[in-house]
Amino acid sequence: MAGLVTTFGAGAMTNSIGEIRDVDCLFVIGSNTTEAHPVIGMEMKRAARRGATLIVADPRKIWLSTIADRHLELTPGTDIWLLNAMAHVIIAEGLTDDAFIAANTENFEAVVATVAAYTPEQAAVVTGVSADDIRWAARTYATTEKAAIFYTLGITEHSHGTDNVCALANLVLMTGHLGKPSAGLNPLRGQNNVQGANDAGASPIYFPGYQRVDDFGALARYEASWGVTLDPKPGLNLNEMMKEMGRKLRGLFVMGEDIVLSEPNVGHLEKGLNGVDFLVIQDIFPNETTRFAHVVLPATSFAEKEGTFTNSERRVQRVRKAVEPPGQARADWSILLDLAGKAGANWTLESPAEVYAEMVKDTVRFAGISHERIDREGGLQWPCPTPDHPGTRTLHEGGVLRGKGLFTAIEYRPSSELPCDDYPFVLSTGRTLYHYNSATQTRREEGLDSKQPEAFVQIHPRDARELDVRSGDEVAVSTRRGEVRLKALVTRQVKPGRIWMPFHFKEARANLLTNDVGDSVTGTAEYKVCAAQVVKVGEGTSKFPGAYAVE
Amino acid sequence: MTKTLNINGSTFEFVDGESLLEVAQRNGIGIPTLCHDPRLKAVGACRTCLVEVEGQRRLTPACATLAAEGAKVTTDNARIARHRQLLLSMYLADHPIGQKNRGDDELLEMAERFAATPLGALRSARPGRSENVNPYIKFDAERCILCARCVRYCEEVEGVQAITLAGRGSLTTISTADARGLLDSSCELCGGCVDVCPTGAMSQRAGWPLLKSDTKKVRTTCNYCGVGCQMDLVVDPDANDGRGHIVRVDSPGPGTTTNDGNLCVKGRFGTGFVDHPDRLTVPLIRGEDGELHEATWEQALDRVVKGFAAVQEAHGKDALGFVSSSRCTVEENYLVQKLARAVYGTNNVHQCAAT
Amino acid sequence: MSREESQIPELIRHLGGLRTGVARAISEQTGVAEAQIYGVGSFFHLLNAPDVKLRVCQGLSCRLAGSENVLESIGGNGVLASPCSCLALCDQPPAVLNDRTLSTWNDGEVVALDEAALGGAVSESRSDMAIDLAGEPDFSNRALNRALELGPQAVLDVLEASGLQGRGGAGFPAHLKWRAVRDQAETERFVVLNADEGEPGTFKDRAVLARRPDRVVEGLTIAARVIGANDVTIYYRGAFESLMDKDFEYRGVRFHLHSGHGAYICGEETALLEALEGGRGMPRLKPPFPTTKGLWSKPTLVHNVETIACLPEIIMRGGEWFRGLGRSEPGSKLYSISGHVQKPGTYELPLGVTLDELVEEAGGYVGTLKAFSPGGASSGFLPASERTRPLDAKSLAEVGSMLGSAGVVVLNETVKMPWAALHQLRFFAEESCGQCAPCRIGTRLLAEQLTQHLSSGAPLDAVDDVAWEMGEGSICGLGQTAALPLTSAMKYFPEEFSR
Repeated sequence: MAGLVTTFGAGAMTNSIGEIRDVDCLFVIGSNTTEAHPVIGMEMKRAARRGATLIVADPRKIWLSTIADRHLELTPGTDIWLLNAMAHVIIAEGLTDDAFIAANTENFEAVVATVAAYTPEQAAVVTGVSADDIRWAARTYATTEKAAIFYTLGITEHSHGTDNVCALANLVLMTGHLGKPSAGLNPLRGQNNVQGANDAGASPIYFPGYQRVDDFGALARYEASWGVTLDPKPGLNLNEMMKEMGRKLRGLFVMGEDIVLSEPNVGHLEKGLNGVDFLVIQDIFPNETTRFAHVVLPATSFAEKEGTFTNSERRVQRVRKAVEPPGQARADWSILLDLAGKAGANWTLESPAEVYAEMVKDTVRFAGISHERIDREGGLQWPCPTPDHPGTRTLHEGGVLRGKGLFTAIEYRPSSELPCDDYPFVLSTGRTLYHYNSATQTRREEGLDSKQPEAFVQIHPRDARELDVRSGDEVAVSTRRGEVRLKALVTRQVKPGRIWMPFHFKEARANLLTNDVGDSVTGTAEYKVCAAQVVKVGEGTSKFPGAYAVE
Repeated sequence: MTKTLNINGSTFEFVDGESLLEVAQRNGIGIPTLCHDPRLKAVGACRTCLVEVEGQRRLTPACATLAAEGAKVTTDNARIARHRQLLLSMYLADHPIGQKNRGDDELLEMAERFAATPLGALRSARPGRSENVNPYIKFDAERCILCARCVRYCEEVEGVQAITLAGRGSLTTISTADARGLLDSSCELCGGCVDVCPTGAMSQRAGWPLLKSDTKKVRTTCNYCGVGCQMDLVVDPDANDGRGHIVRVDSPGPGTTTNDGNLCVKGRFGTGFVDHPDRLTVPLIRGEDGELHEATWEQALDRVVKGFAAVQEAHGKDALGFVSSSRCTVEENYLVQKLARAVYGTNNVHQCAAT
Repeated sequence: MSREESQIPELIRHLGGLRTGVARAISEQTGVAEAQIYGVGSFFHLLNAPDVKLRVCQGLSCRLAGSENVLESIGGNGVLASPCSCLALCDQPPAVLNDRTLSTWNDGEVVALDEAALGGAVSESRSDMAIDLAGEPDFSNRALNRALELGPQAVLDVLEASGLQGRGGAGFPAHLKWRAVRDQAETERFVVLNADEGEPGTFKDRAVLARRPDRVVEGLTIAARVIGANDVTIYYRGAFESLMDKDFEYRGVRFHLHSGHGAYICGEETALLEALEGGRGMPRLKPPFPTTKGLWSKPTLVHNVETIACLPEIIMRGGEWFRGLGRSEPGSKLYSISGHVQKPGTYELPLGVTLDELVEEAGGYVGTLKAFSPGGASSGFLPASERTRPLDAKSLAEVGSMLGSAGVVVLNETVKMPWAALHQLRFFAEESCGQCAPCRIGTRLLAEQLTQHLSSGAPLDAVDDVAWEMGEGSICGLGQTAALPLTSAMKYFPEEFSR
């Protein structure tokens, strides 16, 4: 997010979902698309069926890697080596788009200087991906006109997540694969409205529309609009808030998240929550965090309220009320308006449509969008500055939004926690097709739960042999922060020395294990890499065959 | 240079690669189809779209015939009318729905339109799948017309190839490998087979067949991942004492929204949580006894305002933090950050998935 | 589809047929989806019923020889026997398929047939024959060498002059097909030999393969060299396995031998190509024709065995010579004849002989001629009054029938026409691929209606409509002609259909 805003001037997919089917080279890195974004996965399959080259970079075998032209099975956390080595090849072999670089970018020289040391041979040693594959991937990506990169949390959920994004952006800028249909850089948002929440300013550093709180023009604009004095000092990001829980932070309002299940190193967080003076939870289900709450406010699901979600391709779409909320539950927006009123604010907003209209007043990017217009025309993609603007399918078509695309020289930094004798495995966590995040919704759906009713950890057969573990056995997975017990799933989907588990299950909370070290820019935690140990604790059989396993 | 062809005496432009069906549909000329879906490769198997092309002895499937410069096409005449009526009459003979709820069945609707009545009666030979144990998708072999939309969708769009045409001749059916249940197959329960089925042979276990007139459809955006699929919540407004109940989720027509008519398992089948008994329905306040107790909204909101004020009084304004949600709407996120900044004077606001 | 997928049917066979778990095992081995494997396996009779060891032919000629009794006596004692479609052994009924060995039923025993027996009865050698089934095989390659000397264009001219038309049933001029393939921009091209003989009443290709493999291999090599193909694929009927070799290379051409697994429809050229690629043998839409998009979407020349076997003599003796062999149409022709004749067999005669002449070659009638089927089940029936009509494409088309594969079945006064028609209808219902409704439903509707008519006198009021729609709406020739046995029988023998 922050990486893209810095380098390109906007943090969003530069292409649209509808353009994916026409991409000729898909470079999918750190995204198990068919499970995390199944419908975008369908578009990728469609492109591959049509004959597009598919390059998958992922530490695990995933569905897409089974149909990929090549699968770069890199060691978790070594993305910078892979990406810098690809840049090295592109520069060394003269595959750069020099005209694009000259016209649209700055600071290229710094990247040239840095990646010179990242030879494919050296990268092969660090990443485990052969030099031949790295060269092939670099050449294929650079020389295909319609080449697009897709990434998800496998890129960002690292202590160096912003570095990873910048390294990807470097590849895009040096090849000029930007501002064209079916060519670009595309973060796929993990949740329905990540994009919209960012757009709306739910951020310690940005007002709505990515206007920095410490930009005095923006500050003045909002002070005038809202009629209050505002603080120009950026606030704490989520990762910092979790660490300061019960210390600097003594009161907390949480809307729609189960932080105890979702945030890393929850053992530490739970201690912090005990020290919080006042905690308010606004949600639709009781969850692990409500145990600590002082007040719980019953809110509504998406089917019970009006509003908008903004998807990964920057498309603002309507959410519409289909059924009434249960009991006394109320829509989140109306609770928030009441809270503000009771706290003395004099807001005159009465509906989500009015709230949206107020928001776009001070943000040029969304200014042409309204509920009324979406109801009439269907979803609209920002930038959409005026009511007669059709919306923007492909970003940066008229030149990079930032003015000049910014190259950023990135040096590799290892993940903050590496395997050692006590914790010999690299643990990564992620999502499966059948569940969603803390699974408060999906585990209450019989069918989804029957397809995948219990937690599991994937272990390579070779490691399993040494641990005397068979599929279905109960194992204890521990890290420096905690231990969970769950079923083993022996599969070649992971490489030896690596284990993987989903984070959906409260009886085996992956986030008791994960490392809460945050990215220096975004604060996003390193969910994808930590050191772990596995011990067999009991024999048994699993109730289900597990996630899609590639044998 | 633009290319043109002639349909029923009128001239129409086309671009290379367009089928006769596409040109006709674009120009409002109705040609019936059963096996066609714009997302799938044309197979010309259902035979309902046969038309006459001048110079060709045989009728030709409009879906699988490319438009050609100067072609003269007839989509309706006595021969085509007889063909359609007889073909549909034969389909009906092999479509023994008897006393079953007729539901939304494109074949029956089409038969009515072309005044076709069953030409004899066959007992369906197609084997069903008795072990098809799964929570969502039902297969009624008798209703199946073997258009194979489901099989082709499963292969060409969803890409998992969980189902296939199996057997041969009148014993042909839709099956998994070894006729196992869907849960023991590569099926990912996306429900696309249900969505593309024209006759209801593939149907959702819940909510079908329910007549259109008993329900309302609400177009909304899926609340799971960031793709933003558009979907239609089919609601029985009278259920739950008038609160309403989502009986099933339909996908919008192909080509109309970002998701091109596709949904995944969570979008199509993951709405059961809305009516789950665990839902929070009353505000709760933690009492002196350490337990959460039911309260009125008035009490709960007062308690929140007081609680926040107390924290700020004791520890400063930045002792307060707001975790907003990427699951909630844009408007709600806007309101949370405005609440944090404009009312409580802090920038300690972040959404839960700020990556 | 990948070329790996083309191995799926063989893999299923080697695992003992489509038993539970086989699809999954092959899927794990090949990465091909298990549902796809199951779909393919379930399509073919020799794969989808792994416990059936013996299959008894229920074709018309075999039924005349009492094959339903064979089925009754053969079953039991732990041996699972099942009825099956025509086995291309109409000259030696009742035919039995023992696993994949073509056999006959003789004195209560299943007797396997060797190559000589599979050659069957044939015409004596004469000089006015293109194939000469009784002749000595000749591996000297004289014709091939001559073709290479002549060069492709000259060979095509000879072919055009010969007037050779496809002998599989459609009767398309051979030289046009060859030129269509040769003229393609795509340089990877294939020759495919259709040896999946299955039209009821037809067994001539079996005789050629048993007696004159030299002609077939030489003809294929000539075809490959002329159209610019390096690969020849022979798709042969599973029952012909004992006549077949392994893959081989011959004069720079690679020969791939591919066994069929029991599906009449795979004799249709595009269904055959589907089966070769490892799919369910369902006909493709035409166009595109195989000459432009055939095997693996490459230009492909598909020919019947007999057509190919004509080539060496055409090359050696010239197009005019071959053309002159025919009476009403070019060339000599192999006629399979069975049913009520003295000496069923494969006879090479001038194209356009009459039934009476043909039967004379076959030793005469048994009983009194009542009706005959001139070109396989698809050609329907003709009454005895047509016995002097030339058996050629044009003359037979004039009476709504066809020469087809020239599999002639003779019926005498003992045969009831509704019974005969019902057997042909059941054959088509059994062998319909199921892809399109007119054929899948129509064949069954007709058989059902005729059955009810025979048992309870129910009127045959839907026959005209169903037959019309099958003709208009079906994708391939199977459905388009499948109603003919009934409609022709009703036309020529109306008295047998009204009670």
